[in-house]
Amino acid sequence: MNRGTLPILARLHSLQTSARIVPGGGRVISEATDRNPVAQMLRVMNETMLARSLRFVSAAGPSLTLDVAGRRVLRVTGAEGLTGAETCLATDVLEDEHKDELIKLFQGVALVREELHVFSGPAGRGGEEVSIGLPVALLADLLLVDLNVTEPDDDPVELPEVVVPPTPAEIAAGETGLSGFASAVGPALVAWLIDGGAEAGRTDGPEEMVSHLQGFLADERDSLERQFDSLSAAPGDAICMILGAMLVEGHSIVGARIGPSILLGVIEGDATTATLGAWRAALR
Amino acid sequence: MGVNESLGAVVKAFPQARLVAFADLSSRMILSSMGPLSTTQEYLDRLCDQARTSFDDPLFSLSVEAFGEPNAAVVMGPDTVRVFLRSDVEPADALCCICDHGIDLPAFVAKIRTTLESITHAG
Repeated sequence: MNRGTLPILARLHSLQTSARIVPGGGRVISEATDRNPVAQMLRVMNETMLARSLRFVSAAGPSLTLDVAGRRVLRVTGAEGLTGAETCLATDVLEDEHKDELIKLFQGVALVREELHVFSGPAGRGGEEVSIGLPVALLADLLLVDLNVTEPDDDPVELPEVVVPPTPAEIAAGETGLSGFASAVGPALVAWLIDGGAEAGRTDGPEEMVSHLQGFLADERDSLERQFDSLSAAPGDAICMILGAMLVEGHSIVGARIGPSILLGVIEGDATTATLGAWRAALR
Repeated sequence: MGVNESLGAVVKAFPQARLVAFADLSSRMILSSMGPLSTTQEYLDRLCDQARTSFDDPLFSLSVEAFGEPNAAVVMGPDTVRVFLRSDVEPADALCCICDHGIDLPAFVAKIRTTLESITHAG
């Protein structure tokens, strides 16, 4: 496909998408099942050419109000239920130094597993001046978001990677979540346990190894969550990590998080092939 | 072969590799990168920090305690796979890679391991 047509197709797609209106005149831009609500938020901003005030409201409560014009975020004019907004709120014109804080605000309002609504209104002040502010494209680049997708990228059934067929183990497992992940990895996962969430307490493998993993999680669960958060686009995001000397032989440690559940386990042999397929299956 | 050529050879061999970068973890700097993914310096800095985080506690300690010091990490999110590989002989030298989920991971890990060894030995 000619890359030049992508923005046009993306726009056409958004125009064809039926909007769901919420009380107060807002519309739903991200469903609870969407994996990347921040991407939807950025796409709305990227479609805003004329100066507008956009108020993004999470069904969980937090809200963020921005002046947007010419595909740029000019300023933050309101933040409720969000921490760390002081610097952005205090500035009249967002500049490069504000982008990290602004991204954290995006992530604070565009929460996974919560609907995200947008309300549009007249720009707060000075919106006609479009040569200022932070380009939406820059923020999207920092967050690895493609602004020009032609299909919804957050459909949990149709991941972008579906070109890779599931392995027989994935199909046989027929499960999702971390239990499904463990099943799909198969016998290479020699010991594992799940802590937290509905699957808490599930284990398999030699008792001595499982007991060691349990003791580790009892002491380190909070720091492990922080390590996962440091490696995720947003706190609490689904993530799977393998750590080993070789990865394709010997032993490796695997840690994974989906929602409130954490799986910790030991893989023997090739930790790469089975785990990658199993992770795709677990996220379906 | 220089660093850029070595990284470019990886990208050419694995089209699903969107970014392959050589980093000095001790100074937190990406020294060279190749691939179709357009990035900013801030993004590369963050990728380098993520490599350091991958080889940090608590999972690092668990691995050391169980099997010895790890030199390879794979981090899978909803959309991409990140692969971090440290040199056995010079742990500050590392490759930081971003790939699509469809990549042949065993072959890719083997390729970047030899690439990192050649870069480290050449330096």
